[in-house]
This record gives sequence, C-alpha cells and structure tokens, in this order.
Amino acid sequence: MKEIDPDVELLARIGNKEPAAVNEMVSRKLPRLLALASRILGDADEAKDVAQESFLRIWRQAANWRSGEARFDTWLHRVVLNLCHDRLRKRKERPLEDDEPGNELVDSAPRPDEELEATARSEQMAAALAALPDRQREAIVLQYYQELSNIEAAALMNISVDALESLLSRARRNLRSYLAETHGPDSLGRGRR
Amino acid sequence: MTPERFAYLADAYGADLQRWPVAERGAALGLLERGDVTSLQVLQQARQLDSLLDSYQLAPPDPALVRRIAASAVMTKPVSFWSRYADWLSSVGFVGVGLAGIATGILVVSLSLPLSTASEALPSVFDQGDADIVFTVNAEESEQ
Repeated sequence: MKEIDPDVELLARIGNKEPAAVNEMVSRKLPRLLALASRILGDADEAKDVAQESFLRIWRQAANWRSGEARFDTWLHRVVLNLCHDRLRKRKERPLEDDEPGNELVDSAPRPDEELEATARSEQMAAALAALPDRQREAIVLQYYQELSNIEAAALMNISVDALESLLSRARRNLRSYLAETHGPDSLGRGRR
Repeated sequence: MTPERFAYLADAYGADLQRWPVAERGAALGLLERGDVTSLQVLQQARQLDSLLDSYQLAPPDPALVRRIAASAVMTKPVSFWSRYADWLSSVGFVGVGLAGIATGILVVSLSLPLSTASEALPSVFDQGDADIVFTVNAEESEQ
C-alpha cells in the first residue's frame, strides 16, 4: 500500500493562503533543507540563498501540488540538490583564491571550554566532509544526516542502491583517513555519542 | 548473514541498524545476539565514526532568515495552470501553425492548376474504347 505523504495537507492549506500554514512549513522544512545545503556546500551564506530559493519554489508549487507523484520531501531534496549542484559547478569554473575567507558555519564568539571543544570537533568534521569528493559527500549527507532510506538517496542521486553503498563505504573510509591524518589516529576514538 | 556481509553493510550505513536496509536488519541483529566477535568489533569501529559525524552540528536557522522566507510566501505568485503547461502548449502551437501552412499551400496549388474533367482524373471501368484500339492495332501488327 502506498504511504500517505505527510506534507500534502499542509501544501493545500498554503494553496488556500493560510498564514499559519506558511509558518508551519517554514518551521517544518527550513532546518532540514538548510542543513542539507550547508553540509553539501560548506558555506553558511550560500546555504541561506539556496534555502530562500527553494522556498520560493515551494510557494509557487503549493497550490498545484498533486499527491501521488513524488513525495513532497523527496521533491524538495531534489530542488535543493539541483541548486547546490549549480553552485558547486560555478565554483569549479571560478575556483576560490587560497586566501579568500570562507563563510564559517559555526560562529566564533567566545564560549566556555566545553562549547569550544564541541565547536572544534564540529569544525574538524565539517572540514573532513568538505574534503570528500562531491558524490561521496552527497551520499553520506543524504543517507546519514538527512536520514533518507537507501532507496530514496539512490533515486535522488540517479544511481543504484549498490552504487550508493559503494559511495558510502568509500566516503566513510576517506573520512577516517582524513581525520587520522589531520588529527592523529586517536581522533577516531574521541567522539561522543 | 555472514560476518563479511555484516562488515560491508556497517561500512556503508554505520552502526545504527535503524539506518540499514529493512530487509537486512533482522539477520544483522541475529548475528550480534549470537555474539559474533568480528561483527561486534566492526560495529564498534562504525560507532566511533558515527559519533564524529554527529559532532558536526549546525546552528539553528537565523530568525531573520525565517521571517524573510515567510514574508516571501505573500509576494510569490503561484504557478498557474496555463504557465505550467506553457512549454507544452507552445510546442503544440508550432505544430499547429506548421500544419495550417501545409494545408494552405495545398489549397493554393490546387486552385492555381487548371481544372480537369472527371473522366481525365479517374478512368472509368466502362471506358474501354482506348483498350479496344490498342488491341486492334496489336492484332493487325501480329497478322503482318
């Protein structure tokens, strides 16, 4: 039996111009799609631009959304990924200068020691993720961080589940190597659940 | 499930069996419950990397961004039925114009040619006069 799309009712309410539905959609989807864009692009400002553009497309489509085709969340992931791909392509055409400052994802205001340690770990992981080849990074972001099923992630990437598993294995192996090389082999045992 | 298969899946999906393919979870759990040492070690190694992946935290969305996005809903016009199918309709229009051109061309050519009589255009099955002549000539030639 086909699963009911949990977003369809909300889309219909947005189509009827209910302000409360707009706010609900923003709080339901913004953290999720901002996280996706941030981890794929590794740049907070670009991720915000992608989030805004993605929401414009939601507003345009809401009234005409037809259930029974793609799940709304899957469609939204595809929109965000396409916008991210455009930006990654443009970056490759115009590579950043080495001394050009990037837009940090974590703010650097003074904090207590514990928070500083957590921030440092987060930055290490962000750097390790950014160092992955694009397809490997995309695979691990979709499967691990976005918690999509293997079938959904593979479909979004237009690959088979076997190919997705291969990308995931290579991504995890490369992350381990990167972290061991840059922070020593002990770094792999320091993470906390 | 073999320990090798378990290691392959842990290598791809990490330590949390909830992230594994549904069809493989039961067998994987069975292997762990039987206390397979290799699989337990593999899982421990995967768990370490999962912890590091979890340490990559992002700040919650900026309230100003939330307000901007919510405000953009009011200013955005929804896609209308006609604009949704605009590409399709324009291609249909092109084909329609093409067909109309061909039809007009045929009409112009047919009007500019002299009208022929019905007997010239379509030979009648009753009109056998020419055939008789040809047969007669052939018969005379063969007699000579």
